Amino acid sequence: MRKYSLSYFLSQSFKGLWRNGVMSAASILVLMALLIVMGSFSLLVYNIDVNLENIGVLNEIVVFCDENCTDEEIADIGRQIRLLDNVNEDMVKHNTKQQILDEERAKYAGTEVENVFKEMVDRGVNPYRDEFIVTYNDNSEVTTLEYQLGQIQGIDKINSRADLAEKVEGIKNSVTFIFIFFLVVLFVVSLFVIINTIKLAVYARKQEIAIMRYVGATKWFITLPFVFEGMLIGLIASGVAYLVEWYMYTYIGKMLMQNSSILTIVPFSQVDGFVILGFLAVGLFSGIVGSAISLRKYLKA
Amino acid sequence: MIEFKNVCKKYPNGTLALDDVSLTINDGEFVFIVGESGAGKSTMLKTLFREEKISSGSLTVDGYDLVKIKNRQIPHYRRKLGIVFQDFRLFPDKTVFENVAFAMRVIGEPTRSIKRRVPTILSIVGLQDKYNDFPRELSGGEQQRVALARALANNPSIIIADEPTGNVDPKMSLDIMNLLLKIQKRGKTVLVVTHEKNFVDYFQQRVITIKNGKIVDDKVGGMFDA
Ligand SMILES: Nc1ncnc2c1ncn2[C@@H]1O[C@H](COP(=O)(O)OP(=O)(O)O)[C@@H](O)[C@H]1O
Ligand SMILES: [Mg+2]
Repeated sequence: MRKYSLSYFLSQSFKGLWRNGVMSAASILVLMALLIVMGSFSLLVYNIDVNLENIGVLNEIVVFCDENCTDEEIADIGRQIRLLDNVNEDMVKHNTKQQILDEERAKYAGTEVENVFKEMVDRGVNPYRDEFIVTYNDNSEVTTLEYQLGQIQGIDKINSRADLAEKVEGIKNSVTFIFIFFLVVLFVVSLFVIINTIKLAVYARKQEIAIMRYVGATKWFITLPFVFEGMLIGLIASGVAYLVEWYMYTYIGKMLMQNSSILTIVPFSQVDGFVILGFLAVGLFSGIVGSAISLRKYLKA
Repeated sequence: MIEFKNVCKKYPNGTLALDDVSLTINDGEFVFIVGESGAGKSTMLKTLFREEKISSGSLTVDGYDLVKIKNRQIPHYRRKLGIVFQDFRLFPDKTVFENVAFAMRVIGEPTRSIKRRVPTILSIVGLQDKYNDFPRELSGGEQQRVALARALANNPSIIIADEPTGNVDPKMSLDIMNLLLKIQKRGKTVLVVTHEKNFVDYFQQRVITIKNGKIVDDKVGGMFDA
């Protein structure tokens, strides 16, 4: 096998890109627009997701123990809770009623209710109960978990979040569904655009391809410059799209944060890796596949 | 060696362009293929460089079975051939040097040997002064000589020329024909499709006459009487 020079292929693809200037620019712009729409959409959905998570307050159920439970009984309740399927073992937090009293008292220090707490402590009274804050894994199984918790001896009251969890889960599912649907549509469109651009480029060079075949060029020798050209289109489009996305996201994020305090906007630095990787993947993939598909017809042998 | 055995070629639209053609061309022969327009001459050449598949019969070239050949072998097979067309088919935006060098790049020839070989070939066809010219700056005869140089670049064993003088003015045509003969003298098989009665009669080579896809005459030292 002889060596083919990479510089030949690269220079061919740059020349190609240049020669089809208008079409190349058009497809870079279209692909770029599609990437930005896709990226913004993904980031929007991601932010909605994060905000919904926050509303759900992180999959927690609070369980209160019976007033009369002894310390051993309470410890036993804790063990039983940790054994449940849907419960994250390391995330079951036990607050004793003494801790709660202290916390509450500290919280109201300096207010008019301060005296109420002082009186309680003086008389040795504690109206609070031991509680377990249970973090669970699966939102959709929360009803089962509540039932199981109810079965445990000594648990008196369960602070239910089932309704809210269900709603949040429902919204998340439909957002994700719409998201995936649009993503697929956008992807197909971008592939279509690239294929047509390169088809035109290939058509313009039909004669040259014929000559290449007569002098014994292999399929990949003919294909490679076009594939590189497609890759270049993808590369440039994703690079520029990334910069635009970055600027836009930061700008809009800043605006939203100023106007609302409950919204969480994920900082761009946390998602930039995904954005650039996603852009490159989609950009390069459509570039490569697009050129391969458009060439097929001219390479029957 | 080129061997047609009972070759038929039927195009998808039903035209029977080659009708039971059988013929053998030995290594180093010079052959004119003549016949009126639409007789099937170009089709015959196209089956040779496997632009078209034959419909029945068998066709072998230098040990390649062109019926059984696999698609990925075709480029390698074509490197054994040098093909020249009436319309030159040069790259308009490449120089003379680059047009010839291109055929060598395609087969992965290192730049060093390209730089050594291209000048040699260009002097064989008499274009040693035109390296940096573009095709549009050359006459028809000169362009065809570039095409011939390109066909020779990879030292093929067979040269196939389809009406190589069709777009070349009469004075230059003799040059091209002489060049083809010179190439044959250097040991290559040369097949030339032509309309030029004068040359055919003058050169006294093997002449194959085709009519309606059939071989109607095949004589050494033959005359043009289509
Ligand atoms: N691609 C094609 N499809 C259908 N018919 C064709 C095709 N190429 C050539 N033909 C027909 O085949 C016959 C032989 O054509 P061709 O080999 O080009 O003749 P020549 O070169 O002798 O003038 C003609 O009738 C022509 O119309
Ligand atoms: Mg013809």
